Amino acid sequence: MGKRFTRGPDGAGASRKRQKIVHEAPTSEEIHASRQLQQLLSFSQDPVRARHGLQSFKLFLDDLLDPDSDHGDRPKILRDYLQFARPADDDDENTVCLPDMMQTWSYAAQINNDNIMSAVPVVLALLLKLLSQSLETVPLGLAICRTLLQKRQQELIARNLAADKGKAFIISPTLRMLKEAVSFDGGAVARPLFRARASMLKSLARNMGIVHIGEEAEDTKRPSARTNAILFFLSALKFLHPEAKKELLSQRDIVSALTRDVKQDPPYLVRELLEGLRSHVLLDDKLLREAKANLLNTSTLTRLAALYQYRLGTPADDETSIPDIAHDFLMTACTDPACGLLRQDSGFYPREIDPDTVIPTAELDDLGLEAIVWMNKFKTEVPVRNYTLSNFLPNLRPWSSVKQSELIIAIFKVAPELVAHYFLTNKSFTFEPKLSATWIGYAAFLFNTVTLPVPDYFCRAGTFRELPPPTSIVMDNILPLPLNQKALTRSLANKSNMISFFATRILVVAIEKLDAAIKMHQDASHSNKTVWAEAARRLVDEFCQRSPGIKEMINSYRAIPEGDVLHREAGSHLLRLCYEVLPQVALMAKFDVSPFLETALGRLSGQELDDPRDFALNLKELENLLAIAGYSPGMRWFTASEGMSLSPFTLLLKVYVDAPDGVALEAIRSVLNFVAVEQQLVPAGDKHPGLLALLEALQSLRQSSPDSVTQLWPFLDNCLTRCANTPVKYVEKMQDVIQNTTQTAEKDLEGAVASPIAMAMLEQLPFVAAKDGGQATIKALGRFLPKFLGLSATAGESRPLLDSIFSNMVTNLADSKGKLAKAGVPKGLEFEHNPTPRNTETKAKKPRSTTASQMEEKSEPQMDAEALEDTLHLPDSLEADNAALVKWTTKTVDELVDEGYLTSLIALLVSEHASIRKEALVNILKAAAKIKQSEYEEKEQIWLLLSELAETARDNINDEPLPSTIASFACHALNVLRDPLSSLYSKVNIFLTRGPFWSLDRLPLVDEVLSEEPMVGDTYYAQANWLLEYLIDGLRTPHDFELFHKKRAKGPVLERILALAANPYMRLPLRSQVLRLLYRATRIEGGSTTLTTRFGIVNWLDARQAGCSDAGEAVIYGALRRRIWETCDQDRVRVWSRGSLGVGQA
Amino acid sequence: MAPPQKSDQEIASEFTSYYLQRATKEFAEDLDKVRAADDFKNDALPILVSALQQGTALFSPEEQRRIITAAARPESKP
Repeated sequence: MGKRFTRGPDGAGASRKRQKIVHEAPTSEEIHASRQLQQLLSFSQDPVRARHGLQSFKLFLDDLLDPDSDHGDRPKILRDYLQFARPADDDDENTVCLPDMMQTWSYAAQINNDNIMSAVPVVLALLLKLLSQSLETVPLGLAICRTLLQKRQQELIARNLAADKGKAFIISPTLRMLKEAVSFDGGAVARPLFRARASMLKSLARNMGIVHIGEEAEDTKRPSARTNAILFFLSALKFLHPEAKKELLSQRDIVSALTRDVKQDPPYLVRELLEGLRSHVLLDDKLLREAKANLLNTSTLTRLAALYQYRLGTPADDETSIPDIAHDFLMTACTDPACGLLRQDSGFYPREIDPDTVIPTAELDDLGLEAIVWMNKFKTEVPVRNYTLSNFLPNLRPWSSVKQSELIIAIFKVAPELVAHYFLTNKSFTFEPKLSATWIGYAAFLFNTVTLPVPDYFCRAGTFRELPPPTSIVMDNILPLPLNQKALTRSLANKSNMISFFATRILVVAIEKLDAAIKMHQDASHSNKTVWAEAARRLVDEFCQRSPGIKEMINSYRAIPEGDVLHREAGSHLLRLCYEVLPQVALMAKFDVSPFLETALGRLSGQELDDPRDFALNLKELENLLAIAGYSPGMRWFTASEGMSLSPFTLLLKVYVDAPDGVALEAIRSVLNFVAVEQQLVPAGDKHPGLLALLEALQSLRQSSPDSVTQLWPFLDNCLTRCANTPVKYVEKMQDVIQNTTQTAEKDLEGAVASPIAMAMLEQLPFVAAKDGGQATIKALGRFLPKFLGLSATAGESRPLLDSIFSNMVTNLADSKGKLAKAGVPKGLEFEHNPTPRNTETKAKKPRSTTASQMEEKSEPQMDAEALEDTLHLPDSLEADNAALVKWTTKTVDELVDEGYLTSLIALLVSEHASIRKEALVNILKAAAKIKQSEYEEKEQIWLLLSELAETARDNINDEPLPSTIASFACHALNVLRDPLSSLYSKVNIFLTRGPFWSLDRLPLVDEVLSEEPMVGDTYYAQANWLLEYLIDGLRTPHDFELFHKKRAKGPVLERILALAANPYMRLPLRSQVLRLLYRATRIEGGSTTLTTRFGIVNWLDARQAGCSDAGEAVIYGALRRRIWETCDQDRVRVWSRGSLGVGQA
Repeated sequence: MAPPQKSDQEIASEFTSYYLQRATKEFAEDLDKVRAADDFKNDALPILVSALQQGTALFSPEEQRRIITAAARPESKP
């Protein structure tokens, strides 16, 4: 060990008069014996001597604490000294340990000697640290701690702590000493130390503010007063009992000072702070939630969030970075309810409201949602329970940091009430599209917000509440405020594909969420079903107002470049969802999917894709388009459009056959089968495998001879198209073959089955050879046909019949050597590519709408009356609201027409009170005059409509209400006139110009829609839908019903409607409309009886049910049949049916 | 012998990387413009990547499997 020399003060001759600004370095000497130490530390009134002793002791302790140093006999010297300085009775609280040193400290305080006031705690801190290292010395350390707790020492400590801000050299060691004391022996004196908090925590908050000043980073060996204060505070937290911790955390100044300067703290301190607070506050089970909440106030959270931008120091490879630690801390603090910050909210129901308020049924029936006082209250402000979090969130910048976005989303997830609140209070940030990192960050954040699930039962409880949540709040969660129509529309139409891609994706998840919310509104367990149903309708309306129109979505999809598979998949996905979730909106758009489908098919069938995954993705787009085609009835499967050599059906077949191995094709196969059965290319029925034999034959041929398949397509397309256009012809031809075979071969082929498509091939075969290059096709057919027919036989078609067909084919197959004829239709062919028909579900399936599959999921064998009502009942749209007489007068013409004031007025013409009807008539005329004088674009037509309506009603309404059908027609015609793009626009206008009043006896436009050409494109079904809507609304009284079953030239209207439902091309939504009309009729007195006796409705329903492939739909027919039986005059019907009805009906 | 079926996690991670690869290919031009924008700083790259890949949520696990396994099988059967 190197010899130490006595060190003297700098410059012996330095002037004593000069005011000292720098600290004078103390002298010291090396200690060799305990006796020497005793002398050095004995009380002296000479400050220089006292300091000399303390400094010598400090160096001695430093050396002992240095693990690398050779301590020699120093430990013994210290032990001996401490024996000497130890009080006689360790346990006596009043005895003073190290009396000389304490006296020196006290004396220094008297004479205001800062150096000694600093030197004593320096030495004590080191000593305590050393003593805590060995079990033997612990009692001694405890004695020192107890001494520090004595009144005199407390005062000294308090004085040290409260020293001037500039005297960090006094404050820091005192804090270090306290840190050692509070943690000594596992916190043995923590409790009494906290009791003396008036002294021990003196100026703690202020001391936490004495930060390191200077350009360079804080030196770990010379920590600032703040660092020492924080470390002392953390030790206290570690060792204090929960009650004391609670008290400590309630000191606002301390809690506030704790994080005020955290941004500038050195990395190790931030780490210790966050880890300490996490383990000793956040995760302490014994600490009350309120105590934790005291720490986690808005400003603490905000300051910790500033650590997301912390850049001091670089973490070692195995160290987590400060931003990550801060993120973990905030995630725990904000999302774990045990941390005291997060409060349980009620999901989409804001604070302050009672969603179980009992509202009288009559009031609910009268006013609907308007009966709920708070329903419209939260459009601009939402009161929340999580007040602190709501204040904290605006301080985060989710658009510029993935982690901050994650934090907000995690908070939204556990406190859904905050979503609507957040976007209502942070309106400054818009979604206006711009190709920048910030916009993308914001779009990603919004995407994640929309993806959040709807809270269970909207209220995060176990059951639904009585009343639905405020629609505006549900809406703000589905499409948050920045996602308004303008911004979304501009994003969709943006010239940057990426922006439109992002907007498309957000809309996809938004519609999926809307779907989930609608289904929750329609849940069977609601007691106030009408109010929930109204809320669901309002939700859809509001969604349509906030989302871009379907036309914009279609245009955006149209603009996607060919090669952008991902984007195109998303675009088609969006359109498909529109059809599934918002059919009423989607069908309005008159979107013809055929060209898109053809392009997609062309792409898939023609293109050589390098990556099979791209093919699978393209296929997904195709499936989306096929699903849309399923919803839009105008799909022309067998007409090749310009520039296409094959029809869409054949193209789809080609895609199926050419698909790379491993690509899942079930969806496409089921569409092919569905169309094939529908078009009678193959026999319908459970036992027939549909197109499977054709698919298998083509696939197997493709494997053995790919060129042959290429040769076949034009021929196949020709046969398929012919067969689809005139199926009956081929069924008849087959009958001929059956007859011939029966006669010539004397085989009984009664009931034999084969596919009509085989007959079409037989018919077309002779023409192939005549064409240019026909020989190659004939050769390919020579390979294909035996396979196809063989597989058809395996699949269960009649072998003798197929043999007979094949023998007719052979003559055209260039079979000069007679090989083919000899071999005949091969036997025992197996299905390799497709499931064998016996195992497979052979029943033709069609793509179903969500509602259908939803019904099927619930498929109980029977549907109860309540569920039937849910499915088929529509509220009375002509219900009288007498207030309408006054309301309209203050409205502008736009409001009058667009917001339903006019229709409410028209509805009053069916009021049962003559005075109201007359009043309504006068008002309608006034409104007509007001509109005519306005600048409204369609004012002429609307004036005409109202005037004709008034003319029609004038003579009639004195005695009885206007037929509901007339009023309903006027309301629906008004909606058509508002939209010149409506497919009915011209029909309605022609109707209006035909004469000045309408026949009360007729149902306007029925003939025009049902029997005439639609005039505009493929809009027959859209028009039929409009017609059914108006007829349902117009069927309210027995008198209305008479108009439906009255005999007319083309048969009663109801009969024609029933015939419409039998149309095989009509989809479920329209069929459901017909059923709704019937359901409406059952609510009218005598309706069910008339339906049964005049229209044979029971048999009709039986037939529909039998022919229906969808179990979900079938139960509706059954339930409706029961309802009709229950509501009819059962005695009369029994007599009418001679007892055949009524058995087993109930 | 058939290769063992991939776990959902493997499928998800392969799908994510496929999705990202596709997206960067389709929007290469736009991505270049974003990189040149004024607000493209240190944090912007992870934001961009996470924004692009969040679209995988639009595909159900079964759909992801369908697309990924389309590549996994040999082109033709023995």
